[in-house]
Amino acid sequence: MSDYVVEMTGIVKSFGEVQAVKNGYFTLKKGEIHSLIGENGAGKSTMMKLLYGMYGFDDGVVKVNGEELTSITPKLAIEKGIGMVHQEFMLVNELTVLENIILGFEPKKGMTIDFDTARKNVNHYIDQYGMDIQIGKRINQISVGEAQRVEIIKILTRGANTIILDEPTAVLTPQETRRLFEILENLRRDGKSIVFISHKLNEVMEISDRISVMRQGEYIGTVDKKDTNPAELAKMMIGREVFLNIEKKKAKAGEVVLKVDNLWTSGEKEISKIHGVDLEVRAGEIVGIAGIDGNGQSEFIEAITGLRQVEKGKVYLGGQDITNLSPRKIRDAGLTHIPEDRNTRGLNRTMSIMDNLIAVQVDAKPFSKGMLLDTGAALEHSKELAEKFDIRPRDPQMSTESLSGGNAQKVVVAREVSIGGKLLVASQPTRGVDIGAIESIRSILQDVKEEGLGVLLVSADLEEILSLSDRIVVMYEGKISGRMDADEANEDNLGLLMMGGQDTSHAGVQEGGRDHD
Amino acid sequence: MPVCRKEEGIMTNAWKAIRKVLLTVVLALVIGALFILLISENPIDAYVALFQGAFDGKLSFGTTLASFTPLLLTSTAFAIAAKAGAFNVGVEGEVFLGGIVAAYIGVNWTFLPAPMLYVACFLGAMAVGAAWAFIPGFLKSYYNVNEVCVTILMNSVALYITSYLVSGPMSAGVANAQSDPVTVNLYQFLKPSSANVGLFIAIAAVVFIIWMLKKTTFGYKIRTVGTNPMHAEYVGINPRAIFIKSMMISGALGGMAGCIEVLGVHGYFLNNFATGLGSNGMLAALIVKSDVVLAPFMAFFLAILKSGAMGMQQSTGVPKSIVDTITAVFIIIATMELLFQFNGKRKKKKKDKAEA
Repeated sequence: MSDYVVEMTGIVKSFGEVQAVKNGYFTLKKGEIHSLIGENGAGKSTMMKLLYGMYGFDDGVVKVNGEELTSITPKLAIEKGIGMVHQEFMLVNELTVLENIILGFEPKKGMTIDFDTARKNVNHYIDQYGMDIQIGKRINQISVGEAQRVEIIKILTRGANTIILDEPTAVLTPQETRRLFEILENLRRDGKSIVFISHKLNEVMEISDRISVMRQGEYIGTVDKKDTNPAELAKMMIGREVFLNIEKKKAKAGEVVLKVDNLWTSGEKEISKIHGVDLEVRAGEIVGIAGIDGNGQSEFIEAITGLRQVEKGKVYLGGQDITNLSPRKIRDAGLTHIPEDRNTRGLNRTMSIMDNLIAVQVDAKPFSKGMLLDTGAALEHSKELAEKFDIRPRDPQMSTESLSGGNAQKVVVAREVSIGGKLLVASQPTRGVDIGAIESIRSILQDVKEEGLGVLLVSADLEEILSLSDRIVVMYEGKISGRMDADEANEDNLGLLMMGGQDTSHAGVQEGGRDHD
Repeated sequence: MPVCRKEEGIMTNAWKAIRKVLLTVVLALVIGALFILLISENPIDAYVALFQGAFDGKLSFGTTLASFTPLLLTSTAFAIAAKAGAFNVGVEGEVFLGGIVAAYIGVNWTFLPAPMLYVACFLGAMAVGAAWAFIPGFLKSYYNVNEVCVTILMNSVALYITSYLVSGPMSAGVANAQSDPVTVNLYQFLKPSSANVGLFIAIAAVVFIIWMLKKTTFGYKIRTVGTNPMHAEYVGINPRAIFIKSMMISGALGGMAGCIEVLGVHGYFLNNFATGLGSNGMLAALIVKSDVVLAPFMAFFLAILKSGAMGMQQSTGVPKSIVDTITAVFIIIATMELLFQFNGKRKKKKKDKAEA
């Protein structure tokens, strides 16, 4: 008998013509945290979804506790003690934490649900693993980190010994991540086996016992944490050396291109989601807005780009008042915008790469000749951009429907950057793209700054903010909770501000708001 | 109604689409044949009679062309609105109103020389159709009022306005509710059928619409707004303006259909004349998922069924309502296809996630 709780060998899985996994290999020892890393599309999530029975595998052998399983369903996987926390949580927003946890497995007392037993049972897990959960609250009242802990408990109550976490830290702040890691340590100590899917190398180096790397559906290798380093892992993931921490070029800040003066705007549900934000961006500098998702960054960006009504305050672009102008007029004034959501805003996924590349300039020469659309000029322009920005496939007449995250984002970046102007707003520019694309998009942002444009960068990724920005502001609950120069900032003082705390080491901080924890 | 349009391999895709349409037609006919068998008739005889009824002889062929003309316009009217993301059920109302305006101008504006009067009839009909369609377009884009509800309700309003006018103020004073005869008529070229040169006007209009959609910047904007209004707004296209404009174009086409019916077929406004024209056009467009190139072919097929049905009933004893059955089967198959498409998309989504 092998000493592995999970053993997957020679796994093959195709979706239509795309081979997502070509020769998958993965083993999991009892009581270890095993990271599975790789770029987008490397097949790491697919591997784990095969193990959890969400898809059937085409070929290969899967053994759980030494027993070969020829076909797996989620039900069977749960019976075998495997649980999975998906990227998107599978929770019912309107139900309480407790109700969510017992959903489908309710302890009964006659006709009714035995809530007392359920509560006792759940509290047992909460205490044992040091989780901080309020089981009486509804899901829509708790934070993302807490919801994630609910998912973990849900899996534990179903008897899981093997826990798969699919990019669990993508939605967490550094503080929440640390707390998740404590819980994972507790689980490991208790003999649970954990699969940790990620592409954040520093986290992987922190938490793992062993690390397996996949690239383009192929298994590359498995290493012990103590024998490796991030550079080696990155090389395994990409197949070549990468330089994510590009050297920051000193800003030669010029005149003010964007001036936001006491801006107020509403969210979808909340009135005055943004209340009283002041901000300046100068030519030739990158200003980073750090903050946990949902603290008003999206609304703020929409307000200054004309996609959301400004209620109070003024926005000036190069001295011109652009408050509440139409997106068209704001673009004409010199603003370009990489939006946070490339699927709904940034791209029209039903159209070709070419159609997307000219979308902003359909009415401009040379693409518009009177009423006619000059497809010849559009094609030429698109081919140039595809070449320059390394968009794959190169053929601009291909649909954007099937582009990978990285290439789809490159289409957006290429379009916006090629227009020029005064200010580039880049909102989560590298979210959900592979490392190769992250590297190139970040260096493009540097180039844009070099060319003398102002860049306003919004990112939930602190590492990105720190490695690109010249100045950093932190947004918390619709306000700026702190501002600092990049060389004073680090993960700790930014993280604190992101949680609404005050950075006492720094004098230039505004009123920080209430404590969160 | 946003319709996916893949850009790659336009030729192969067009061929695929045509194949699909043919398959749908054949499938509908086969199922229709089963029903004919059920009533103990010979389906081959019935279909032969049907096609004879649609093509054999000047009258038959002319009748087919005459019923094709309005369907060509109404199907394109529906399709162009659908391209911008609107589900315009109101084409029928626009046909009625276009008809009544053409009748009014054709009867009363005799101070104009004949050629000008033709132009006035068409422009008037199209303007009123467009104005009528502006209302649901405006309500939808600025107040998010569902255009389906509004257009359905406005169809009744249009119908009753015209009924009132031809029964009262514009009545010819004969037994039927109808207007005085118009003073200009579109030339009928396959007498005694009512096929008229309106057919060529309609074809020209449809060709113009296809050209506009595929080749102009305005067409590009319609496609963008119809498939992703959020994206359109972000790149600086005003989705509301485009939405309203394409509704108005849709309405203008409906109005044009009404004008051709009045000037070319009846010679006067006949109460209720447009009943079914809008919904059949919508059907033709829906079957081909609002593809503006394929919709006319579908409209033609529906016209064949419609004009051949009587011939079939007379010579084989198969009731002409079997044609309605075939049409119904059509709807079912068309809906099923949407279902398949939805499934395919879901699978694709899963796949995308899997690759993440």
